This record gives sequence, structure tokens and C-alpha cells, in this order.
Amino acid sequence: MSLINALIPSLGRLPARRQGSAQADLGPTVKPVYEIKETDDAYGVTVHLPGVSKDGLEITAGPGEFRLVGRRAWKQPEGWTSLYRESNDATYELVLTHDNAINADQIAAELRDGVLRVSLPKAEAFKPRKIAVS
Amino acid sequence: MRIVRYTYPAYRSPATLLGRLSQSPWSGLESEIDRLFENALSSFADPATASNFPVDLYEDKDNTYVRAELPGVTRDDINVEMVEDYLTITASRKTTEAEGEQSFSLSRSVNIPEEVQADKVSAAYENGVLTVTLPKREETKPKKITVAVK
Repeated sequence: MSLINALIPSLGRLPARRQGSAQADLGPTVKPVYEIKETDDAYGVTVHLPGVSKDGLEITAGPGEFRLVGRRAWKQPEGWTSLYRESNDATYELVLTHDNAINADQIAAELRDGVLRVSLPKAEAFKPRKIAVS
Repeated sequence: MRIVRYTYPAYRSPATLLGRLSQSPWSGLESEIDRLFENALSSFADPATASNFPVDLYEDKDNTYVRAELPGVTRDDINVEMVEDYLTITASRKTTEAEGEQSFSLSRSVNIPEEVQADKVSAAYENGVLTVTLPKREETKPKKITVAVK
């Protein structure tokens, strides 16, 4: 492990503070697993957010930015002792930047069983269109 | 794809306390290097397709609990089995894409440290997290015996 850490220092060190963080009151955050797919009409973002309920999810679409904050709904009840942990309790945060080619009014999101599917429709002007040749 | 550029979320590290002054002059370079490795190593550790999933183990007075993060699986596809000391969780995640249906199998075995009543194991799935409750055997529970002293 120390060899790996020596080769890839990013694995062993605490992440430096990144620029562009608007919210500092979230505490430690983790980047969720996500996937982006593109079709002609929209971008589809699939984010894995195990443990986040609908109430704990916050999606903000700012200019050129798509921000997602997921707070975990479950807290360790009193009397429970943790014997072994692999997951962590940190809030999920995902910030994606885009070039404003998105129709922010028609963003649709669905959360089911810990998986969030967001569809970001492309703005009309950016959709591919066929041009008839006369 | 033009949407993909990821901007890093806020981390709270000890450096945060000192504010921007303490920000490493190399943090820009660091994040570039991190991104390089993230891209290069992502195929080894992509949790979406890995067959492993994180598992937590808790206990209280009466029960042992196993919590597994299994986002996006259907309840019917979750199988929980108890064989001797091992709890095995198998699940499959199906995703429907334009190209067709994809299915990933997930499986994990956890050694349960205490003896449990295997016939009374129950499980619940909520928000993508599976919680398995394993009641402890009566003999293994701590017992309080009051002895009258004459």
C-alpha cells in the first residue's frame, strides 16, 4: 500500500480544498458514482445515491452549472455499535458544469431505490437539425 | 460530450480552517494529476459495474445488523442466504439502455461474528440500502443473574 501511495500520492493524502465551492456548510462530501449518456435530445445523468431519500435531495441548476446535494436519510440509531464499516456517512455532492446548452426549465429528475435519473434536455438551438438542400 | 467536465465539490480538510490563504499553490496541479489518475484507474474501480458493494456491520443488545448499499436493484432480485456463519447477499442490477438490457450480478459474503437464529433473519430494502436483521441466539446474549446474598 505504501508503494502505491508513493507512486500515486493522490490516494493517500487528504484532498486539497477545491476552488469554486459555494456551500461550505455541508461538511465532508463525497462524489457519488455517476454516468452521463447523450442522445440527440437530451443528456441523461444517472447517479447512484444509496441511502438518500427524496427529502434529502437537492438539485440546483444554475447558469452553466448543475449541482446535486444528497443527504443521507439514515442515522445510526442509539445502541447500535458499528463493528465494521465500509460505507461512509458523508453527504453526496456532485457538480457538473455545462455550456448553457441545456433547457433548465425542463430538467426532470426521478429518484428510485437510491438511483437518481436526471434528464437534461438540450436547448432547441443546440439540437441537431437537418437542413434541406434546395 | 461537453457536459462532462467535473468540478470538484467542497472538501473539509484541516486546511479549510485557515481559509483561502492556506490553499496550496499546487492544488490546481494536484487536481489535474488526480484527474489523470482517476481516468486511468477508473476502469479498475468502477463501482457501477464492480461485483462488490460496501457492507457495514452493526450490533446492539439483541441483534446483529448488516447494511449493504445496493442502489438500483429490484427487491425481487435480492437474495439473502445464511449458511453457517456466513451471510451471502446476491442481487442483480438491470439497466435498460437504448442498446438493450444490461444486467450486473452482485454478490457478497459476510462472516457474522456471533451466533444468530438463522430462521429469524429478516431484511428490508429502502432507498437503495438493504438492512438485514439477525437476531442473536439466546445463549450468546449477555445475561444478568441476580444472586441473593445471605
